[in-house]
Amino acid sequence: MFDLLYNTVSVASNGNFYGLVNIGISGFDILLAYIVAIICSIIVALILRLPLLPSKPYRYSFDVSAIYPTPIIAIGILSLFLVLNYTFMYNGLVLAVIIGVLSALFVKYLFDFVFPKPLSEDNGEDINE
Amino acid sequence: MNEVIGIIIAAILCWLNFVIVDTYFGLPEQPGVRGAGIIGRDVEKRGGDIAGGFFQGNILCSPDASAGTLMASIGYLLLGIPGGIIAAFLVFIGNRLCADPGYAGTTGSLTATAIIFICSFIGMTPEMFIVGMVIAILTIQGIDQVRASVLLGKIAEKFNRHA
Repeated sequence: MFDLLYNTVSVASNGNFYGLVNIGISGFDILLAYIVAIICSIIVALILRLPLLPSKPYRYSFDVSAIYPTPIIAIGILSLFLVLNYTFMYNGLVLAVIIGVLSALFVKYLFDFVFPKPLSEDNGEDINE
Repeated sequence: MNEVIGIIIAAILCWLNFVIVDTYFGLPEQPGVRGAGIIGRDVEKRGGDIAGGFFQGNILCSPDASAGTLMASIGYLLLGIPGGIIAAFLVFIGNRLCADPGYAGTTGSLTATAIIFICSFIGMTPEMFIVGMVIAILTIQGIDQVRASVLLGKIAEKFNRHA
């Protein structure tokens, strides 16, 4: 059984020792696609009038902004397409732009519907104290 | 690289990564959810530090940099660098489902991916980081919770994040 487990994991990770080997386009193109996705998502989010930074205090704010979480969503979705080796046209640049625009639209219009903010201390039901 | 030496180095790197990121993003300052507060006060009652207790409760109740480091290691093992970024995305979704803003989790995943990529040049594999991260979480939550909370409280004071 352990042989099977070992073989499965080693086949799955074969060639991933330095990462990126199972992707069809070159490492430079991958880096470029990530940078394009990040910049495009931030710019479109700013055009849609999202604030650049979350509201203060920064470390406890649930508000969405252009810096966070828009680029995280964009590069996460782009990674899913890359590991499936689906890189549409121009070495993935078109895909990066489309994903950047769509993630900014998602954060602006759908994010609060999908991930509602937690109830504040006053509105939530008190279990104890 | 020898596996045992690699696992020890990976455990130290993972421990530093998740403790520094979690402390910087204010886990010891306040409990994010009610369960974390209960765990923190329980640890304090047993002689520990309240800030360390909040830290332990927070990493138990929602996926922070500790879970981010572990998931980034697994993602890197399976899919390379994009796997680490997918792990950051999934940790972000998990954070939002657990009533947590998610800054610590995503940052921890991305820094862990960078650390694993840099260490791959000296012959360390993602498997070593998975084992190392399990050992690192064991030292915080498993062996002696009270003494670990005192140590975490001292680190929180250094970062000016004490409760």
